[in-house]
Amino acid sequence: MGFGDLKSPAGLQLLNSFLADKSYIEGYVPSQADVAVFEAVGSSPPPELYHALRWYNHIKSYDKQKASLPGVKKALGKYGPADVEDSTGTGGDSKDDDDIDLFGSDEDEESEEAKKLREERLAQYESKKAKKPALVAKSSILLDVKPWDDETDMAKLEECVRSIQADGLVWGSSKLVPVGYGIKKLQIQCVVEDDKVGTDMLEEKITAFEDYVQSMDVAAFNKI
Amino acid sequence: MAGVIGPGLGVEELSLLEKSLGLKKGNKYSSQGERKTPVLQANDGPSLTGLTSIAIHLVKQAKKEQLLGNTAEEKAIVQQWLEYRVTQVDKLSTKEDIRTILKDLNSYLEDKVYITGNNFTLADILLYYGLHHIIADLTVQEKEKYLNVSRWFNHIQHYPDIRQHLSSIVFIKNRLYNTH
Repeated sequence: MGFGDLKSPAGLQLLNSFLADKSYIEGYVPSQADVAVFEAVGSSPPPELYHALRWYNHIKSYDKQKASLPGVKKALGKYGPADVEDSTGTGGDSKDDDDIDLFGSDEDEESEEAKKLREERLAQYESKKAKKPALVAKSSILLDVKPWDDETDMAKLEECVRSIQADGLVWGSSKLVPVGYGIKKLQIQCVVEDDKVGTDMLEEKITAFEDYVQSMDVAAFNKI
Repeated sequence: MAGVIGPGLGVEELSLLEKSLGLKKGNKYSSQGERKTPVLQANDGPSLTGLTSIAIHLVKQAKKEQLLGNTAEEKAIVQQWLEYRVTQVDKLSTKEDIRTILKDLNSYLEDKVYITGNNFTLADILLYYGLHHIIADLTVQEKEKYLNVSRWFNHIQHYPDIRQHLSSIVFIKNRLYNTH
């Protein structure tokens, strides 16, 4: 939130585009929000920023009623477009939050007993883990392989892709998905063992068929 | 069509105006002639004819003279736009006419919050009522093209007691691209 530095051209530009479809900073009546921004702007915006200028002149007409306008003045950073980072340093909600360590413990030093207990538990956990049979981590990957144009032979392309052999790589079902203009992409499923095959290696091998393959994306990646 | 006032439906518009001014119902209207000019049937004295005359009369009846303009200049602007409403807006027939009017209004409203500038007046109310069926038919792109009109219209429709049963028209700023 916020307009940045309202004295700078960039800040005014932001204000200008913000006010293009709005009469006031907040809602449909003049409020303290307008007063706050008005005061921050300070002087008349240049004529080419006519939205800002219109608003400025309009708020100026409320000069005498300024104090009686509804609402409570907030920090300047609370107003304006939501997609702009507050750089005024006044609206520092997020900064305040940073100071609070939600997960911090009150005591800086663990008591001796607690330490012992923790180590014990850790050891227990380690031994438990060691007993478990080592599970092979596998992932199911859905790949999108895009051809160059509608004349690319998709059957051949699929053949090429399936010709890639590696330890821990199993090809699954595939289908052709229309992309548009008669072009279809190949969507193919495969299961890999995480330790042996990575997507980088897959991409490298698939894009190596550069006669057929324009690009390759990972559409979905699921751990099994 | 529900929630929309068509052109020339002066009588319905006047009852909207009555309500927005906080007047009690009691005035009787009829319409006259081919263009359905509204007529206010007075209990005593002569009857009043024409949208603007009746509207001004109602404003005075409601003791809200500030709606007719505070300064001499403002009063003149209000008069001018009321006239514009009846002679231009109500006579719109072709798409070309509508485009011209919207274009004019758009550039006029570029540096104004209300029709007269900084104060809400009867001109805003009657132009809002008069343009409602036109704005309601605009496409998203057109609304964006006539940005100043859209801003003004959206502002007026949020003004307390003005819109009443008329449909609220949605305005969105196209967020697909950034203007700045």
